[in-house]
Amino acid sequence: MTEQIPIETLHPTIRMLSDEQIEAIHHASLDILSGTGIVMKNEVGRELLVDAGAWESEGRIKIPPHLVMDAIASASPRIPMFNRLGELTMPLEAGKVFFGPGSDCPFTIDVETGQRRKATAEDVRRIAHLCDSLAQIDFVMSMGSPSDVPPLDHYLHSFISMIRGSVKPNVYTANNREDMEDIYRIACAVAGGEDELREKPFMLHYAEPISPLLYNDESVDKLLFCAEKGIPVTYPPSPNTGGGGPITLAGALALGNAESLVGLALTQLVRPGTPFLYGMNTAALDMKSAIVSYGSPEWPLGMAACADLARYYDLPVWGTAGAADSKVVDAQAGIEAAISMMSAFLTRCNLVHDVGYIEYGTTSSMEMLVVADEIIREVRYIMGGVEISERTLAREAIHRAKPGGGFLADDHTLDNWKWAQWRPELIDRMRYDRWVEKGRKDMATRANERARQILAEHQVPPLPEAAEEVIAEVLKEREDSAKRTT
Amino acid sequence: MVIGLPSDHLRKGRTMDTKAHVLEQIASNLYKGEDDVVATLVHQALDQGMAPAKILNGGLIAGMDEVGKDFKAGDLFVPEVLIAARAMHAGMDILRPLLAEGEVPSAGKYLIGTVQGDLHDIGKNLVKMMLEGAGFETIDLGTDVKPDAFVAAVREHQPQLIGMSALLTTTMTGMKATIEGLEEAGLRDTVKIMVGGAPLTAAFAEQIGADAYAPDAATAVDVARNLMGV
Repeated sequence: MTEQIPIETLHPTIRMLSDEQIEAIHHASLDILSGTGIVMKNEVGRELLVDAGAWESEGRIKIPPHLVMDAIASASPRIPMFNRLGELTMPLEAGKVFFGPGSDCPFTIDVETGQRRKATAEDVRRIAHLCDSLAQIDFVMSMGSPSDVPPLDHYLHSFISMIRGSVKPNVYTANNREDMEDIYRIACAVAGGEDELREKPFMLHYAEPISPLLYNDESVDKLLFCAEKGIPVTYPPSPNTGGGGPITLAGALALGNAESLVGLALTQLVRPGTPFLYGMNTAALDMKSAIVSYGSPEWPLGMAACADLARYYDLPVWGTAGAADSKVVDAQAGIEAAISMMSAFLTRCNLVHDVGYIEYGTTSSMEMLVVADEIIREVRYIMGGVEISERTLAREAIHRAKPGGGFLADDHTLDNWKWAQWRPELIDRMRYDRWVEKGRKDMATRANERARQILAEHQVPPLPEAAEEVIAEVLKEREDSAKRTT
Repeated sequence: MVIGLPSDHLRKGRTMDTKAHVLEQIASNLYKGEDDVVATLVHQALDQGMAPAKILNGGLIAGMDEVGKDFKAGDLFVPEVLIAARAMHAGMDILRPLLAEGEVPSAGKYLIGTVQGDLHDIGKNLVKMMLEGAGFETIDLGTDVKPDAFVAAVREHQPQLIGMSALLTTTMTGMKATIEGLEEAGLRDTVKIMVGGAPLTAAFAEQIGADAYAPDAATAVDVARNLMGV
């Protein structure tokens, strides 16, 4: 046979919303913005919207559809993200899925003692260090809110710890414009200058409005700073069902969509083309404990719907997965992480955060990150689909086989086994006796050992000297200003 | 088969300094499953005037021993063992016609089969291949082997060891019937009997009067060696 066109492999995807459902949510969102209106606490943000055609009525800013549609049209459908060495490692664009941890947990599970305790700046660095080594983790977030630095300097220290701990792109948070400016100075020193940072951004800022419909001064100010400087930014609202959003997911999606589009509009009014990552957090407010549930099925359901909306707008999309409500790394945590990460892949959510959270985002766990890394690897294999080709159909091997005799020692097995099957690294498939002999270790125990091994062995390239000098300057300035105010 | 840099290097013969060296190269290439390289090296060793039995023991079997050790330690996958076994065969095919009668060393003669009523072949075949890799001479009776057939084969081949396999709880009883058959024929004391298979336990093996139980193919080799007293 002459060489024929290969049969294309189907890589499975899911759609949560029909075209009609997407249009209905879109229209509801536009009605919310023009009919109900938002509350804008930032003066510059208010002026930008009003100058562009919004109006004030009954204490609200009401935003017409054309303002929103213009913003969607001017935004970029993709955000190429680089690591801090200048390599393109995370192009946020259609069809691609990238995973990373979440930010700012007050507590962590100490990887040496197993105790739940307050997080420190060193924890943030160590978790970034762990993430730097995990092959399935594409970006880092601060993962801890350091308790051992002055409260107003939390975010600054988190940023410094992250970039020291990992070369991977990061998603960072900040307190206010002062934080944004200091972090920007440090980032420019890392990249080699303002132009270099704009051309090869290795950081993406995460700010958020307060659902429902409240745009607080600082968060808008941070958003506008990103637009001014060309820093990629995401501004996901949290219309958690029954809390920040209506109890019904459709209402939460309509509200969250409206809120996210205002964030988009603000950035595009400052600078058309500002790289903006669309999205929202659609957790459920648990009706018994009143926690925001990170393991709830509403979240992956909402994330899938949100990804459909993003495709409708041709925008890159933010998502959440790999997080648990469980207080320990156990079966519940595994279920919550696996379901959400599978969903993230199936929906092709571009940037998926909160991997490694336990206790509904209050505590970070290195073991959970290591477990999630294995789950992502396994789900990625499933997403590969089933290759149908002459080499995989194995006609000759089937013809050769002795009925009942098996294929284990067939040349086709020996030549293809390495790629044809997935092989676990952390998941255990030992025979019982051997598992007993090796210490009867469960998944969490093995993950703990792996995390400690990585921390002991993995090397991360240090920051450029110029960047460490700027960090020292910034920290000195903070100290001096703290002394002046006391 | 992928031929990497080290083997290309070997093919040019640059590292063939000493006789000991060529045996080490055979063993290490066998470990890596480089069947073509193993064949080339076996020819080179013969050209240097080395005795076939020495090449077999010091090269092929030494290499296969390392494979067995690392498989048992959990460092190798089953196909890696089988690829190494394929390389061993490549070497053996050259040596076999040159080895004098009685020069082929055997770790023991091993009769193997899946018991009556059970058609499962794959696990039994894996055990057989592991045993062959360790130098055992195997006689494979196949699947659905009736007690009488085991007895007749013992009489004919006079093995030191018998291995019985079963995948089903319903066919496990065939093992006991076979042992009883050997007792009736007065042959029980001439052989050591091993049993294995997914539903089996060491306790079951003891209960039916077998000499040993092996939970997996790698362990089966060790158990067989122990029963042979080596």
